[in-house]
Amino acid sequence: MLLTGCVGFGEEYTRVAGFSNRDAGAIVLKGTTLAPRLGNPVHRVCETPAGMLNAIGLQNPGVDVVVKQILPTLDFTETRFIANACGSTIEEYAEVCRRFDDSPIDAIEINISCPNVKEGGVSFGNYPEVSGRVVAACRRATAKPLIAKLSPNQTDIQANASACIEAGANALAVVNTVMGMAIDVEARRPVLANVQGGLSGPAIRPIAVLKTWQVWQVAKRHGVPIIGQGGIVDARDALEFIIAGATAVGIGTALFYDPLACRKINAGIVEYLDRHRIGQLADLVGSLGTDSSPPQACA
Amino acid sequence: MNRPHHGTIFLEDACVTALQAFPGHQYLLRLEAPQCAARATPGTFVHLQCAADIPMRRPLSIMNADPATGTIELLFKVVGIGLRALAHTTPGARLSVLGPIGRGFEPDPARPRAVLIGGGVGMPPLRFLATRLATGGAWRPIAFFGSEVPFPFRPARAATALHGIDHRIDASDPLLESLGVPSRLASLATFDGCYRGYVTALAAEWLAALHAAERNDVAIYACGPAAMLQAAAAVARDFGLPAAVCLEEHMACGVGGCAGCVVPVATPDGPAMKRVCVDGPVFDARAVYPEIFAGA
Repeated sequence: MLLTGCVGFGEEYTRVAGFSNRDAGAIVLKGTTLAPRLGNPVHRVCETPAGMLNAIGLQNPGVDVVVKQILPTLDFTETRFIANACGSTIEEYAEVCRRFDDSPIDAIEINISCPNVKEGGVSFGNYPEVSGRVVAACRRATAKPLIAKLSPNQTDIQANASACIEAGANALAVVNTVMGMAIDVEARRPVLANVQGGLSGPAIRPIAVLKTWQVWQVAKRHGVPIIGQGGIVDARDALEFIIAGATAVGIGTALFYDPLACRKINAGIVEYLDRHRIGQLADLVGSLGTDSSPPQACA
Repeated sequence: MNRPHHGTIFLEDACVTALQAFPGHQYLLRLEAPQCAARATPGTFVHLQCAADIPMRRPLSIMNADPATGTIELLFKVVGIGLRALAHTTPGARLSVLGPIGRGFEPDPARPRAVLIGGGVGMPPLRFLATRLATGGAWRPIAFFGSEVPFPFRPARAATALHGIDHRIDASDPLLESLGVPSRLASLATFDGCYRGYVTALAAEWLAALHAAERNDVAIYACGPAAMLQAAAAVARDFGLPAAVCLEEHMACGVGGCAGCVVPVATPDGPAMKRVCVDGPVFDARAVYPEIFAGA
C-alpha cells in the first residue's frame, strides 16, 4: 500500500514515467477533514538521520471537495483507494466518515493521532478509551471497512488495539509517525515551523516492527489484519513486518527515495516466498519464532 | 482518464560526466540524463540523490539541458550534508535523477524584452532561459546577476554599452555574452567591473533609463534568495511590470505527493498553499507577494 500523506489524492505519482497505481494493492489518500485546511507554514519537512520529519498540518480541500471533485477523477479499476479521516472532535471524525460512506471509496482509515481540541490538543490516539470512542463513532457513521491507524506515541498500544477492535475496527495500521523535533543550532530555532513533527523512514523501523508484533498478539485473537508500516524501503524490511504479524505493508518515505519502490518490494517478496517454498503470503504472517516458540512451518 | 501530467517526470540512473569547482564552495555538475535533457525547460528542476547513503533527494534547478548530447548541467553551492556529499562525486559515478519537474518560466511573447534577475544559485534557471530565448525568435533578453561570492565563471568584458548603466560597469556573463545576450554583474563584494550594490538596484537603473513605451515590452523573470525576489517584485511594482519568480523550499517527494514544499499565494478564491514542486517552482510575483503589490 502507498500511505497517506505521501501520494496526495492518488494521482500525483503518475507523473513519474514507469509508475503505476496498479503496482500498489491500495492507495491511502491524504488526510481529510470536514472543512478545508491550509495546513502549516514552512518549513514543513526536513531530513534527519535515516528518515525525515514532517508537519504538514493536514492541508486538504475538505471532505466534500474530495468526494465530489477528486474521487470521480480516480480510476478505481487500477487499485483500491482508501480515505484517511481526520478530526478535531469525535463528531468531526464521524461526519467525515459519513460523507465518505456514500462514495466509491474502498475503505476508511481513521487517523486517531489528530489533536483533540476539546482536551487541550492531546492526541485522541494516546488513550485507548478515547481511541475506542472515535472508532465507535465512525463505525456508526459508515458501513465501509474501517482501519484504525495506531500511534507509537503512547504507553500501551495493545490496550489501544483492543479498544479499537472492540469499537468496530476491521483492520489496524501500525504505526503512525513517531513525534520528533530538529533544531537549527546556528539560528537556535526549530527547523519545522510547527516546532515538532512526525518522524518517518528507516529510523523508526525497529519501533514499528516491535509495535506490529505487540499488536499482533492482540489482533490475531480477533482475526483482525494489520497493515505494517514504518520505514520500509525494500522487500527485506517488508518481510520483517509480515513475519511480525502484518498481513499487508505500506510505504511512504521510501517513495521519496525511489518512486518505483513498490514494484521492487512486491517482486522481492515473491522471490522470498519462492526461495522458502512458501505457498502464500498468509502462511508467513505472524510466523515469528522465539526461543520459547520456534518459527512455524509455513508450508 | 485525463492525465496531462502523466509520465512527464523521468527516473534516470545518471552518469556524472564532469564536476567543476569554483570559489565559494560552488560546483558545476554535468550529468548524462537523456530523458530529462530532452524535456527540461528553463525553471524546471531535478530531484537528485546526492550520495548512496543520503537517500532523501535535493532539488536543484537546471542550468542547461542539451537534448542532442543528453546532458544536463546543475550549479550548486554547498549547503548541508547532501550537497557536501555531492561535491565529492566524481566523473563516472551514477546518481539517481528525477526530472524534469515543475512548471518553468512561460515567457510572454508580447513582452520580448525579458529582464532576467538572478542571485547566487538562482542564476542557473535564468542562464538556461537566456540560452533558450537567445536561440528562439524575436526575444531581446537582458540579464542582471548578483553574487556575494566570486561568480561561477570568469566574468567577460561586455562588448556593448547599456543605456542607463555606467560604462565602468562592464563585467558580464561570458556564456550570455557569447550568445549575444547583454548582461551585467552586481556584488557588494568588490569585484572588478561589477556594480557595487544589489542586483535589483542595477536592474532598476537600467529600467529607469528606458522610455515608458519601451517598458511595455518588458517582463521580469527572477530567481534567487527570498530577499532578492521581494526586491525584484518591488522593482516590478515600481515600473508597472509583470514578474515571474522561481522559488525553492525544503522538499520531500518532489512530485506533488506530500505537500511539504508549499508557498502561500493569493488566489481569486482567497489564500491557498501551492506546492513549489509541481504548481511551481515559477509563480506570478503578484500571487506570492500580494502585500508588495497592494495598492499598485
